[in-house]
Amino acid sequence: MVEHYLTAFAAIFHPQNLLALTLGGLWGLMAGALPGISTSMGVVLLLPFTYAMSPLTAFTILVAAYCGGITGGSITSILFGIPGEPSSVPTVIEGHSLAKQGRAAYALWVFLLCSIGGGLFSVFVMMAATPIIANFALRFGPPEYFALTMLGLSVVSGLSGGSVLKGLISCMLGIFLATIGTDGITGLERFTFGTTILLGGISFITAMVGLLAVSEIFIEAEEPFKEYKGSANYRGMKEEMPKFSEFKENWPTLTKSPIIGTIVGALPGAGATIAAFLAYGEAARTSKHPEKFGNGAVEGLMAAESANNASTGGSMTILLSLGIPGSNTTAMLIAAFMIHGLQPGPLLLTQRPDIIYGIFVAMLMANVFLLGLTIVGIRMFLQLNRLPYSVFSAAIMILCVIGAFGLNNNMDDLYLMLAFGLIGYYMRKYGFPIAPAVLALVLGDLAELSLRRSLLLSLGDPLILVSRPLSAILLAAAVFSIVYPLFKKPKMLQGL
Amino acid sequence: MKKDEIVANFVIIAFFVFMLYDSFKLHKIQRFGDVGSGFWPILALSAAIILSIALLISNLKKYQGRKKQPSGEASTSPAAEIDLKNRRKKFVLSAICLLGYILIMPYIGFILATIVYVFAFILALEERRNLVLALSPFLLTALIVIVFAKFIGMPLPRGVDFFAAFSRFIY
Repeated sequence: MVEHYLTAFAAIFHPQNLLALTLGGLWGLMAGALPGISTSMGVVLLLPFTYAMSPLTAFTILVAAYCGGITGGSITSILFGIPGEPSSVPTVIEGHSLAKQGRAAYALWVFLLCSIGGGLFSVFVMMAATPIIANFALRFGPPEYFALTMLGLSVVSGLSGGSVLKGLISCMLGIFLATIGTDGITGLERFTFGTTILLGGISFITAMVGLLAVSEIFIEAEEPFKEYKGSANYRGMKEEMPKFSEFKENWPTLTKSPIIGTIVGALPGAGATIAAFLAYGEAARTSKHPEKFGNGAVEGLMAAESANNASTGGSMTILLSLGIPGSNTTAMLIAAFMIHGLQPGPLLLTQRPDIIYGIFVAMLMANVFLLGLTIVGIRMFLQLNRLPYSVFSAAIMILCVIGAFGLNNNMDDLYLMLAFGLIGYYMRKYGFPIAPAVLALVLGDLAELSLRRSLLLSLGDPLILVSRPLSAILLAAAVFSIVYPLFKKPKMLQGL
Repeated sequence: MKKDEIVANFVIIAFFVFMLYDSFKLHKIQRFGDVGSGFWPILALSAAIILSIALLISNLKKYQGRKKQPSGEASTSPAAEIDLKNRRKKFVLSAICLLGYILIMPYIGFILATIVYVFAFILALEERRNLVLALSPFLLTALIVIVFAKFIGMPLPRGVDFFAAFSRFIY
């Protein structure tokens, strides 16, 4: 293992990968800081740049953008009171209150140090847990994989915000879309309607670009011009650096929040937003000064920021060890793995340790780099908010077109992208969450193949799915995660 | 609850029912233990139909409940209606611009199609500053071509005839 880490460090410290870390981090911070561009959109827009890169450089730039996106969302939250990401809403409540009190630089330091601390904690957990979980997952057979995908999809549908019913319909749509194309077992064409466009199935990237990015641009296009005003209270990061004693006073929050963030991040569909809200709620519940919450409570800011960044490591652990994406952004990373001919999951750790350990080190270094990049680049990100959204969205749309076209150099993919953009637009308009559809599209194929292989193994007996203990537990958990939110939604998650 | 949401529910159900009908044609068991190519889509689409009907019933109940209330949903103000129309117009124009971009790109090539698209798209988004309208299509296209065609070497569409010759001149 030590030699894998040494090789990975040597690879990441190659100038090309250091440049990828810097550019990915900057892009992620920018995407996170700009309202209208989510982290997942930032990552999907980077995909076309990675087509020609080596796999390690590609993942270095993508994970740096992922970590940067989660961090960057809080910059505009503190200074303008505009959450760059949904996970930054608690940061708006506390961080922007501090900024309004003339303590913007202080709030930025707290956010930055807690974000990086939370991110680093989760990376260490990821480094320790991934090999253990992957080793355990090597014993999984088709029934366990089927149960695992069902658990993933059910949690995504239940926790993706809004109505559970709409989440489940979105999930079923994704599962259906994953069946389009040639059947992997019988070779039969399904739902192609005689066209060649759909013969190879729907490409994840085309669908994701359409559902996530194009639909978001359509939604933003409807809005009138936005004028962002800078925070008058921000002068520079040099002022008001917090004292160590302030962190020492809040050690219970600083210990609990990254743990909450990492665990919640590992749950499919939960992600940074729920992690930040849960940690914030927990901090408010156990605080000695709950009356300060809502009026610039430093403890609340620390909790939310430690937890949302810690979710990245949790999400990546499940992706790298089991090959199950926990969020839209990790679903993009699955697509990136496939572009480079790799299949994420337990076998990848033994087949390509250079990639897995390289990703560990890249995430570690990304968090370290983000500290410097945020301090140096904060003024630049603030200036970007003054760019006219019309030009910016045109640039994003062109990147979407290049991303969808560049995969197969096929114009038909662009029509599919537009179709998915329209589907995504109407889904957003009518309150259907996009995440379940995207994750079901990615996991649907694995779920179907696992189910059919299980039934082939048992000669058609469906009891194989519940007769194996692990599979039975996972399926029971899947049923619970669908049924529970129908009857009781945790107070903290209401309205998400 | 708006009527259009209920209409959308019907459209969703009709889509899933149509696909379910199509998936029954796939349901052939070819070997012992195999459930066939149609099994999984039938399962997913049946679940989707049941869930969509449940959503429709829930929406209809909400709609009826609001209709019964005397104070009901207040009719939208003229200003709100104009805003809604404007929003729809901008969305439709954005989608048309993208469709046009995709349609003309194979014929006139990436460069010219992008210049036209950026100009039309930002105009559709109500950008009226002359400098932005005049410069951004060219600057943005130049930047994209330098990065993707020159630096990464991506084979972007070149167009046909004269346009292909023009594209080859640049990348």
